[in-house]
Parts: sequence; C-alpha cells; structure tokens
Amino acid sequence: MKRSLFRRRAEPAGVGLDVGALAPMVDMMVLLLVFLLRTYSTDLAPAPEEGPFELAGTTADADRRGGVELLVSSEGVHVNGHRVAAWEYIEGEGVIEPLYATLLQVRPKVRAEVHADASVPWKRLQRVLQTAEAAGVEEIALVGVWRGGM
Amino acid sequence: MRLFRDSPTEEADVRPTLLGVVTLLFLLLFFLLSTSSGQRLGVIDLRLAAPGQAPPLPHSGVLKAVRLAVGPQAVAIEFEVSTTDISASAESRELRRIEVPAREGRLDAVALAAALDTIHAIDPSQLAAEVHPDDEVTTATLLDVLDAVRGPTAAPLFPKVSLR
Repeated sequence: MKRSLFRRRAEPAGVGLDVGALAPMVDMMVLLLVFLLRTYSTDLAPAPEEGPFELAGTTADADRRGGVELLVSSEGVHVNGHRVAAWEYIEGEGVIEPLYATLLQVRPKVRAEVHADASVPWKRLQRVLQTAEAAGVEEIALVGVWRGGM
Repeated sequence: MRLFRDSPTEEADVRPTLLGVVTLLFLLLFFLLSTSSGQRLGVIDLRLAAPGQAPPLPHSGVLKAVRLAVGPQAVAIEFEVSTTDISASAESRELRRIEVPAREGRLDAVALAAALDTIHAIDPSQLAAEVHPDDEVTTATLLDVLDAVRGPTAAPLFPKVSLR
C-alpha cells in the first residue's frame, strides 16, 4: 500500500483567493493606472539621429498643438526631422539662411514648436526664433519636459 | 402563518467578478506602458518682439513695467512703480531693482519666485513682463526663468511674458 509522505489537509474551498485580499489589489491597480495616465504621454519627444540631446525641464503643463517641428541641438537645426543646418557652418548674425529657405517651403507653417537642447545658448536659440518669424511663422512655442507634480 | 417560506440563500461569489476587474486593469496597464512614454512634454507659447518694435504702452496701474535681465550669474529684476507721494506728479515713477544671484552656479528659482511674488503683490493687475536673456544663457535657465515669471497655473504672476 502506498503511503503519501505528506498528509493532505482538508482545505476549505477558496483559500488563497480571499475577497479581502483582492480588493486592495484592485485599489493598487487603479492608483497605478491613474498615476500612469497623469504622468505618461503618447507624445514622444523628438531627438536628433546623432549627438547628445536633452530637453530642458518646465512646469508648463499645456499640451502640444502641432505645427512645424524645429529641433535645435548643440550641433545643428532640424526641421520636421531633417537636418537643415549645422552650427559649425552657420556664419554671421541674424537669419539662418538654410533654415529660412527650408521654412519658406514648409506648408502649413502657422505654428512652430521649438525643441531646444538644454545647453543651447540664447544667442543661437534667438537666431532660430528670429528666422522662423522672418519665414512667416505666426505662433512659436518652446517645448520642455514637464516636471510638475501629480 | 407566514406567506413566504424562509429558504436558506447562498451568498453570491464575488471573486470571479473581482478577478475579471483585475485582469482588465492588467491589460489596461500593459496597453498604457507599451504605447506611452514616461516623458511628458510641456509647451510655453512665446511672445517675441520683432526687431525695432516699440515697447508696449505703460500699464495704467501702480506697477508700470517689469523687466528681467537674465545673466549667467544673476537675474536682475527692474520694475517701475508710480510714485504715490502727495507731492509727486502723475508722471513721476520710481525705478526699483532686485538682484537674484545664482546659487552654486545655477539660477536660484526659489528666490526669483519669491521676488516676483513680492512685485506682483504691488499691483496684481499687471500681467506683463519682459525677459532680456544674455547671449550665453542656456535654454534650461531660460525655461526656469519663464516658469518663475509666469508663476503656477493656479495663481499666475505675469503670464504675458515677452522675450526681447
């Protein structure tokens, strides 16, 4: 006759799946969902294909409204994902010619959103903004990483 | 005699329902994590002054104008206040200046916000401010200054910021 090493205990039905244990789990899941919905975004930040790029932080919580995407990195300027100018070869003051020529061809260009690297100096950023204005962009917005609280 | 007989009723099992909810929440979580990013973006609409553009007309309240000169080492806030002395004329103004030095090489955002709060309290109807960044000021510092000048969304200070 076979004898089992461990004695089987008669367990009441449903042990380990108590309602009292499930309710806090549901609460936690709801809290996690609310946190994710509040802090996560489906709007991914653009970045250049190469080189370092880090957006500066901001407490502004307004959402993006689209428009021409201007990316200003420490190496150059990109329009809608295409590099149009490199700082190394940009000379002089005022309007940046290659950027101006590209922006003139972009349609529609009512609004532009500028994603500038945190380390880019105002001297360069100002030239990009002035060029966008000169090319006929009516609204310009600066984009940063939201660092507000819940 | 009772009309209805008391029959022993069994309590409904809520565990399958709760498990269903948990499963649904798991699916939602998975969906959210796979379609979104932890980096949320914030947008600041800029008001840029065109080259040669005349400054705006002075504000009718006590606080006439607010200007911030942003440098790598300090932020200087200059603001013009109408002189309220009885002997003063309607045109006489007083230029005041508050300097917020950088702390450990970085902008002291707390001190800047406190200074701007004090200035805003002089005349809460003044909503405009001008920011004049130095050539070498980085975008990170500029955004910090713009955030401080605009103030929190719930209690804005100077939401009409123009960059010059």
